[in-house]
Amino acid sequence: MKRRAWLLGTTAGAGALLVGWVAMPQRSRLGLASMMAAGEGDIALNGWIKILPDSRVVLAMPRSEMGQGVHTALPQLAAEELDVPLSRVQIEQAGWDAIYGNVAMLEGNLPFHPLEAEREDGFGRVKAGRWLVCKLARELGLNATGGSSSVADAWDVVRFAAAAARACLVGAASLQWKLPAEDLRVAGGVVSHPSGLSLTYGELARSASATPPGSVVLKDRSQWRVIGQPAPRLDLPGKVNGTARFGLDVRVPGMRFAALRLAPMLGGEPGRIDAQRALAMPGVQRVVTLPAYGGSTAGVAVVADSFWRAQQAAQAVDVDWIRAPSAVDTQQIDASLRDAVVRRDGYRFYERGNVEQPAPAGSRTIEAWYSAPYLAHATLEPMNATARVSDGRVEVWAPTQVPQMCRAAAARVVGVPEDHVDLHVTLLGGGFGRRLEVDYVAQAVRVAMDVPGVPVQLIWPREEDMRHDFYRPMHVARLRAQVSATGEPVALEIKSAGDAISPRWMERGLPSLSGPIDLPDKTASEGLFDQPYGFPRQRMEHVFTHSGVPVGFWRSVGHSHNAFFTESFIDELAEQLQRDPVEFRRLLLKDAPRHRAVLDLAAERAGWGTRPPAPGRALGVALHESFGSVVAQVAEVSIDRGLPRVHRVVCALDCGTVVNPQIVAQQMEGAVIFGLTAALYGRIDIRDGVVQQRNFPDYPMLTLPAAPTVETYIVASERAPAGVGEPGVPPIAPAVANALFALTKQRHRSLPFAL
Amino acid sequence: MELNINGARLQVEADAAMPLLWVLRDLLQMTGTKFGCGIAACGACTVRIDGKAVRSCVTPVGGVGGKAIQTIEGLGTATRPHPLQTAWIAEQVPQCGYCQSGMLMAAAALLERKPKPSDADIDEAMTNICRCGTYQRVRLAIKRAARTKA
Repeated sequence: MKRRAWLLGTTAGAGALLVGWVAMPQRSRLGLASMMAAGEGDIALNGWIKILPDSRVVLAMPRSEMGQGVHTALPQLAAEELDVPLSRVQIEQAGWDAIYGNVAMLEGNLPFHPLEAEREDGFGRVKAGRWLVCKLARELGLNATGGSSSVADAWDVVRFAAAAARACLVGAASLQWKLPAEDLRVAGGVVSHPSGLSLTYGELARSASATPPGSVVLKDRSQWRVIGQPAPRLDLPGKVNGTARFGLDVRVPGMRFAALRLAPMLGGEPGRIDAQRALAMPGVQRVVTLPAYGGSTAGVAVVADSFWRAQQAAQAVDVDWIRAPSAVDTQQIDASLRDAVVRRDGYRFYERGNVEQPAPAGSRTIEAWYSAPYLAHATLEPMNATARVSDGRVEVWAPTQVPQMCRAAAARVVGVPEDHVDLHVTLLGGGFGRRLEVDYVAQAVRVAMDVPGVPVQLIWPREEDMRHDFYRPMHVARLRAQVSATGEPVALEIKSAGDAISPRWMERGLPSLSGPIDLPDKTASEGLFDQPYGFPRQRMEHVFTHSGVPVGFWRSVGHSHNAFFTESFIDELAEQLQRDPVEFRRLLLKDAPRHRAVLDLAAERAGWGTRPPAPGRALGVALHESFGSVVAQVAEVSIDRGLPRVHRVVCALDCGTVVNPQIVAQQMEGAVIFGLTAALYGRIDIRDGVVQQRNFPDYPMLTLPAAPTVETYIVASERAPAGVGEPGVPPIAPAVANALFALTKQRHRSLPFAL
Repeated sequence: MELNINGARLQVEADAAMPLLWVLRDLLQMTGTKFGCGIAACGACTVRIDGKAVRSCVTPVGGVGGKAIQTIEGLGTATRPHPLQTAWIAEQVPQCGYCQSGMLMAAAALLERKPKPSDADIDEAMTNICRCGTYQRVRLAIKRAARTKA
């Protein structure tokens, strides 16, 4: 009785308690203390938060750090609600319970138009769809890092878990002192009372673990001290002194190294193998034949006492490669995609009004075709994983975006239940979507099976990494617009073609969930069907193809090429109508104030229309929404010895509430370089089934001397946080293309730019 | 064979043709130096040999006996970080961090040669690939370190 009375005091104070079914997701993902790994002297208060004896906080970390700063941003959320400095929060890899699944990532894949999704009234289809997918996602608990969703997903859950832990700690002090909870103060991990009583989190943890949190109240944003601050990243000290441990840095006593050599042709496989010469080489232990795991190509691996020896021996294995039944060729695919746009019906992702309706008298039709090539991820850390198989148990160390899928893949390869697999997630030397695949983990486990009890680190040479990626698929699009005699926009029709990624990925990594038919994959049409521009009539359809090239998610996915198509085309319309590109966009954004504000900020900071660029330079603009964030970029470009040179990029964005503005700026800077690298140089060509690019000289990367300065400006927002890791990529290619047009009057409609 | 790494004399048994990168990583367990491309194209494996920035993935170990090899593990210590390491944190340079050992070693060699590098000097010396695109912060951090070192 008394206990209840004291606890009720904790609900008093500022902040609003979420009520009804909306509150349920957070509470349902709070989890149990038993879900966190038990350590010496630490006490878990729920599935996310543990307290150490010295009052430091441990946060369960289900997301992978691949440069995007999530190992700092999520601790910031916990530090805020627990009232401890960020430096007092550490992380530990989360377990396998469904509470750690990424709900926001799956929700982000729903093919709803933002205008529908934003509406508060009606639209039962959108609400019901979201509710159902979120419920399924919570049940499924797919632990993945992708879709720029980590902060969006953690936003409610981690803050709720931290606030619940704080409520338990305050409640425990309240009970112990028999003083109302609302009279207690919390600062720096110490609970105190004005009378002089005080206890640390470490001292309170044990009794707090037996105290229910009661009603949990999140802080009002006016009280935030950690959220919104440019806190230094927690992972950087180890990244400047060589101690940060990536997948390739795993060292286990007695370990061996394996080098991979896959069939040169996509889908090929080894036939007759003569390993005698390789096995006779010094330090070589084993030659293992690998089937096509996780959608990759089949090949061989050689185990030796160093990677260098393993790689030399792998080249010495005499293999008769068997060709795949059909050889893919990128030139043929390009032609077949154009043919598909003309001849085949597509799936209609969006339709408003009737584009078939006769155009008003005097109106004009403007049409253009755009295309984008296959691209490799080229993470700087090549694919690798370390595995040990002994006595029916499997231990894996992997740089991965999908730990759960890796665990399942390892279990399938060995033929043991998943709970016989211990998987350790390392830091990732870049992800960009490549590490959403499980091929390299399955291969490492298969190799380890042949040397029981010996830990083996399988490493892909760069040439294998580039020639056996899951490539960003080639896409083509036909864009057609009608404008009235007076220059008013009337209709916009886009028909595109290219392979679907999601169903192929499901087949590879989640076979049990993959269906017999492909559902329409939003990633193909994202950035085409979901535009903010107010054309009264619109139709966007996509023809799904099946080209036979392994395709995967590449940073910003469909947006990465679709923004180039649409934002270049909008510029074409402006040019045809003799309008200023920013003014023309503003006209089309009458009903999109959020987009307009971002565009205006970028234009203002870039001096658009007010400060003419230096002679020989021109500005280009692009605006694009992806992953819930709106980004506008203005690029200042010149031509230097026949090549585009980007000097400066002004980037404005609205990504909702900002957790760490320094990380947001880092991501915008990095995204510009990533997108610019693709726009200037990126293409994967496949001839007769063989990828032609082998290493960085054939697939160049932008380097420091050619890097523009990027300025980032953030629009203040109180919306929930949206994506940051990817949304900076899509606008840069069209911004540069539009600047190039301003310079040369030549329109670039395919990537990479050819001058 | 005896190697002089970060001021310590270490004995290794390695084929003279084995690249220094793999001697460091696989034989000496010094994993701060990274593998990126294997053909001296990306710079992730950059170390310093007698002060100069060298790509260790194409440097046979047989040729570096008796020379002073410095790796990221020897650039600074936790209590006495190199000015570049301090500047790297102040400018919040790394993202994924994989290329940063090589970047720092290339920058250290540059600063030794040119204590006050111009933008052109930085352009010429810093040819390493960073897939996360940290270049503008790398430039700022080198300039910051140059200021604090002077």
